[in-house]
Amino acid sequence: MDHPFFRSGKRWRVLFVAFLLLVAVSPAPTFAQTAKEPAAPHIAAAADLQFALPEIVTAFVRGGGAPLKLSFGSSGNFARQIVQGAPFELFLAADEGFVAQVIAAQRADGLGTHYATGRLALFLPRGSPIRADRDLVDFAAAVHDGRLKRLALANPEHAPYGRAAREVLEQRGLWLAVQDKLALGDNAAQAAQFAASGAAQAGLIPLSLALAPEMAKRGAFATLPESWHTPLRQTLVLVKGAGPTARAFAAFLRGPQAREILARNGFGLPAP
Amino acid sequence: MMDWSALTLSLQLAVMTTLLLLPLAVMLARPLAWVNFPGKGLIDALVTLPLLLPPTVLGFYLLGVFAPQGALGQAWLTLTGRSLVFSFDGLLLASLLVNIPFAVQPVQRAFEAIPREAREAAWCCGLSSWQTLWRVELPLAWPGLASAMVLTFVHTLGEFGVVLMVGGNLDGATRTLSIAIYDRVQAFDDSAAARMSLLLVLIAFVAVGSLHFLTRKVGRRGN
Amino acid sequence: METDVTGGALEVELRQQTPIPLDCAFDCAPGELVALVGPSGSGKTTVLRCIAGLHRAQQGAIRCNGATWFDGQLSLPPQQRRVGFVFQNYSLLPHLSALDNVMLALGDVPPAERAATARNWLARVHLQGLDDRRPAQLSGGQQQRIALARALARAAGGGVLLMDEPFSAVDQVTRRKLREELARLRQELSIPIVLVTHDLDEARQLADRMVVLHRGQALQTGTPEDVLLRPVSPAVARLVGLSNLFAGTVGMDSGKPCLEWAGRRLAIAVPPGDTAAHDSCHHAPGSVVNWVIPPEGVLLHRPDRPSAGDAENPVTGTIIEALRMGSFTQLTLSIPGEPQPLVFQASSHTIMRNDLGPGRAASVTLLAGRIHLMPGD
Repeated sequence: MDHPFFRSGKRWRVLFVAFLLLVAVSPAPTFAQTAKEPAAPHIAAAADLQFALPEIVTAFVRGGGAPLKLSFGSSGNFARQIVQGAPFELFLAADEGFVAQVIAAQRADGLGTHYATGRLALFLPRGSPIRADRDLVDFAAAVHDGRLKRLALANPEHAPYGRAAREVLEQRGLWLAVQDKLALGDNAAQAAQFAASGAAQAGLIPLSLALAPEMAKRGAFATLPESWHTPLRQTLVLVKGAGPTARAFAAFLRGPQAREILARNGFGLPAP
Repeated sequence: MMDWSALTLSLQLAVMTTLLLLPLAVMLARPLAWVNFPGKGLIDALVTLPLLLPPTVLGFYLLGVFAPQGALGQAWLTLTGRSLVFSFDGLLLASLLVNIPFAVQPVQRAFEAIPREAREAAWCCGLSSWQTLWRVELPLAWPGLASAMVLTFVHTLGEFGVVLMVGGNLDGATRTLSIAIYDRVQAFDDSAAARMSLLLVLIAFVAVGSLHFLTRKVGRRGN
Repeated sequence: METDVTGGALEVELRQQTPIPLDCAFDCAPGELVALVGPSGSGKTTVLRCIAGLHRAQQGAIRCNGATWFDGQLSLPPQQRRVGFVFQNYSLLPHLSALDNVMLALGDVPPAERAATARNWLARVHLQGLDDRRPAQLSGGQQQRIALARALARAAGGGVLLMDEPFSAVDQVTRRKLREELARLRQELSIPIVLVTHDLDEARQLADRMVVLHRGQALQTGTPEDVLLRPVSPAVARLVGLSNLFAGTVGMDSGKPCLEWAGRRLAIAVPPGDTAAHDSCHHAPGSVVNWVIPPEGVLLHRPDRPSAGDAENPVTGTIIEALRMGSFTQLTLSIPGEPQPLVFQASSHTIMRNDLGPGRAASVTLLAGRIHLMPGD
């Protein structure tokens, strides 16, 4: 070709451009998707299921179920995304409120089902000057005597565990006192991250996360009384357009195998 | 381990953004460099805007426009039957818009550096505007073009806020490498996060390093 | 391999107010070289660019070889004119070799013949063997030759050659060589050539005709001899660098016109057939005129060797300055009754022999035939 770009003798430039084009048109899991039959369904799961859910999915798949794709985050965020048309097929929220939102927006297929109950825990990273006790006695003292400089919790606006944490603090008369010490996580898992990193002296996080080995090795925890906050009724709902795999999995979650895994991860169980 | 679909997604997004944006950048940069048209200052400012706004602001506005109720979202649905939010399509479009300053500005500088007389000489030799672009302007502006390509590529690889807001975190569909890292950190899987972070750094490093290689002597200093 | 260069005449007429005022018109026949001279800002480059199609005047017309390139409404872009443009700073494309640069202009030559044709042009400007070099590897003079070859390749076959101060960016020795090159090439070319220069020597050496421009106005058009010896106005005289510009009055002396100046009567002569000078002599007795005499028209009286010629228009004054410049000395003479000094040259040898220097008196002859009258202010 009569163009200086090529005549400079560097044949690799041609190869470079060819390589780029190759990568660009290589099988895209995304573009191909629309043409093929439904790929693995997307499941939106509240962050407190970070450890329990993969285990349940493994059991599901081993039992002959089709593969699933999991996304973890705050229930409120997912509710918003689903309302905006995000292609999730199953929504596992950490409480009922956000499921109601999805139903009200007519994005749900059926009603929500309560399949587990979450618990709130006080987590203290190693080296924290605060002692773990389920009555929050030392905690309250730490708030007032300055040992607590930062408290990690999920954002009460859109994370049910954050809402529960706020209720607990209000109930103990500590909410106002900790206002300037809050480190809000975008979801319950991020709050756990803050707490585990030691950036906060304490964290109010899901029990299911505090129990996990990755967290357990970084500190101690105490389970807080259920009566101190509105129950965290883990609710699942199918999203409009849910396929057979999603439905099968929703049913599986209510079955004995899943319940056993949930119980081991610190969730309470309703009657089957 | 390594999230291969996230890596592929990131590379595809980066490559496609770069390849699609480059001709657009050339078309936009040429008049900005050489013509004093009314409203030029405004266009200049708009081009620079994505550079100055926080990704969350960009993500917020893009989400509003891409949503099924939004103008672009509806148009796209009618045109292709696909959703613009929570899909690769939306990521690509968002990426194109967000990377405009990275693509346009180096190209604009490169065009500005071409002496007017070089183009005039080409015209007097009988070259049409198109021939002048292809045989004179682009070769002379090549370092700027290469810069624009590398910057766009690397910036797209690292894009997080806008991608998260517009695409969500859908495994295999919109979970790019940078989001996958975020995802693994939240799952307390630090080793996977570290592996993917290192990979991202290496790719960026190679891309930037290749810039030197790409712009080495287009015969300018004489071999 | 078409490398014969022939073409038709160029007619230029341009008028505009903004951005630069222009009001000039001139023709250039095939094989003729017209020089546009004037100080910077006089619009000469603008005129050139108008011819090339790089600038569009408000009014006027440009025709070449019978084809209309510009006429107030229509303005053909440069690509559709056949203009070989040599820029001041060569404007070679740095990423192309010498051969490629020339080939750029050969778009309407069949592809198979392009390289050979380009080589031919490079040979004609004595650059054979340097085909593959990039401009950065060549000297200024060589680069300008490539630019010339490229321009000629384009202008061949009915176009015009335009040159914008083409030799100003090279050193003097190279400049001289390039001028010789152009002078040689001119003998083979039959296309109109328009050369913009601020160097009057260059114009004198190369141009068949000159257009003196000032603030866009064409003040005088004529051969270099016409312009330099017989400027039509003091403005032109100043622009072409003539000193010895004075004012005087036309008088009568024994029935013949004479020039009254600084209390003297100077005889003026009109060589027969010299129409330009003849016109300038049509000044009514009593009218105030400007007049100019070139340094060559002022001859020093040699006290050590008086001659009969000393009787012609003798003028005495005091030497203010004697500037020795090699074998010649430039003398500045103060004439009583005239505020401006008289400037002329004499051999340094003569100056020394007659012991002339600042403060000494000296006499000169003003050759009647070299006195040129111009209209008064």
